[in-house]
Amino acid sequence: MSSSLRGTVGRSLLKTITPLWLLACVVVGLLAHHEVSELYDEQQQLFARQLYHTLPQLRASQTRGQLHEADSADHQAVAIWDSQAKPLVADSDGMALSPRPGFTGFVTSLHHNEIWRVYYYSGEQGTVAVAQEEGERWELMRGLLLAQLLWLIVLPVAMLAIWWALGRGLRPLDSIRQLLQQRRTDDDTPLPTDVPTEIRPLIDAMNQLIARVASTLQHERRFTADAAHELRSPLAGLRVQAELVQLLDDPAARHAAIDKVLASVDRASHLVDELLALARLEQQHTLPFAPLSWQAIAEQAMAEVAAAAAQRGTRISLQLDGHGPQANGDASLLQLLLRNLLDNAVRYSPPGSQVRLIVSPQQLLVEDNGPGIAAEHLPRIGERFYRPAGQDASGSGLGLSIVGRIANLHGLQVHWQNRSEGGLCVTLQPHRLPPAS
Amino acid sequence: MRILIIEDDPLIGDGLQAGLTALGFSCDWLRDGKLALRGPDAAPYDAAILDLGLPGVDGLDVLASWRRSGHALPVLILTARDAVDDRIRGLDSGGDDYLVKPFALGEVAARLRALLRRRGGQASPLLQHGRISLDPAARRVLLDGQPVELAARELTLLELLLNNKGRVLSRAQIEEKLYDWAHEVESNAVEVHIHHLRKKLGSELIKTRRGLGYTLGDEA
Repeated sequence: MSSSLRGTVGRSLLKTITPLWLLACVVVGLLAHHEVSELYDEQQQLFARQLYHTLPQLRASQTRGQLHEADSADHQAVAIWDSQAKPLVADSDGMALSPRPGFTGFVTSLHHNEIWRVYYYSGEQGTVAVAQEEGERWELMRGLLLAQLLWLIVLPVAMLAIWWALGRGLRPLDSIRQLLQQRRTDDDTPLPTDVPTEIRPLIDAMNQLIARVASTLQHERRFTADAAHELRSPLAGLRVQAELVQLLDDPAARHAAIDKVLASVDRASHLVDELLALARLEQQHTLPFAPLSWQAIAEQAMAEVAAAAAQRGTRISLQLDGHGPQANGDASLLQLLLRNLLDNAVRYSPPGSQVRLIVSPQQLLVEDNGPGIAAEHLPRIGERFYRPAGQDASGSGLGLSIVGRIANLHGLQVHWQNRSEGGLCVTLQPHRLPPAS
Repeated sequence: MRILIIEDDPLIGDGLQAGLTALGFSCDWLRDGKLALRGPDAAPYDAAILDLGLPGVDGLDVLASWRRSGHALPVLILTARDAVDDRIRGLDSGGDDYLVKPFALGEVAARLRALLRRRGGQASPLLQHGRISLDPAARRVLLDGQPVELAARELTLLELLLNNKGRVLSRAQIEEKLYDWAHEVESNAVEVHIHHLRKKLGSELIKTRRGLGYTLGDEA
């Protein structure tokens, strides 16, 4: 909907004011008609009664049935008859009035193409008729109604005033529009809140949106930067070492460089493997529903990191308290999960450390006595490509994302926490809620 | 030319150090962002290569801290972030040049040479002095247009003197520029190199200022 607020308010006002005004005109007209009629009727009645009282003198002064002609007034007529309905007095218009002996009351009659309102007053002495043109009454009413038409002139002026006032009232919105137009897309400063109270909720909602968008944007940017770093670094290492092979003449140095080229290729392959594993896990929403042998899973995972552990003199111990937290699931994925956790523990702990794996119905637990993770990095652990403060250990920053995804598929929740006695402790516990897809 | 490399990735850092050394630079390599904060204090570096993707510390913070403490050395930023915004931020934070990974070693060396040349206020890639001309990129010296065979350190020493025309360089200064932490300096190494240079390029080339050090002779 693209209508102007001003137009909408203006139209609404016109739509309500115009019928109200017309209604007021009708009411005023009706009231005026009523009042004017009453006034004139009373005057006619009073006049007729006064005339009636003059009847005895009139009859006495009457000489041989000669009609007494009264002065005629505009729009007015009078006629007097005696008890035998013989006309005694009449003005020029009055002569046309028909006698109604014995009748008292109002009659509307038509003569000379004019509507006349006639009041008859009858008694023993005779009948008096006082008549008046209806037009006379309408003239008075027209004057009263004309005053109402003044509104027609006032209305446009009032609309202009309203138009101007609305413009003034809407000015804060206009300044916000300008602010928004000039804004950079990545500007995350909130809009000013010194606005009229009616607009304040809108500004508050916009500020909340700006904050949400900014946090999403920041997250995306961090992700892209981390991903670029993790994806490009192995290639950069590969390239620079390969160039060294070309550049160096010393056979021993060349040999060392070739070893490093191979190490770079291994690292890139590992990254590709993890990316593919994660991509497959992302696609997967259901699990094969097979009973699990937790002992076999744990032992195989330990066997996979045994070589790396032996190289660093790190000891891995397994404590198996019955079966693991889930009875069914995908054994190979859980093995990958445990392997990644054990691999991390071995990799990030100093040589000769102790790594413990505990499998129990309540939880899976992997703990080491390495340096742990600085508190400021804990919330971001498990984000893709995120690697906290640099150690010698290489990695893709995807291992824990894979752990998180496999755990999620099995309805397990992952917690990372530093142990009070030093080292990191990772626990996986069943969700209280059913697993998310 | 002595270069400080700040790079957390072992394969890249090792490659840069070995490669740039082979291309005639002396390089020191720091892998830790926190150590890097004090890096330029350690030796009179001519330039630094700074990786922005240091875990834990933002490379730009390192750069800002250097500039705050008054280190004006040219900085070549090396990073995996290639968004235009990142480049702008990098250069505006005090970086002198910006290179996105993966990079070619030759390009890193060329950009470092360009940075050093600009800092010396010189636009031409060739260093000239009298009958001698030195091409830093090709690692080649011509005497009267004829190529002269020089050992790597001799060439670097000549380059250092040509870059500091009119200045007297002490033996300690020369040693610091010529040797990184990995190489032990023999006590009379500088004298030996000077002697060889005089023998190959003429005795008038380098003058000895007793008790002060060495400087270039008059252009003839």
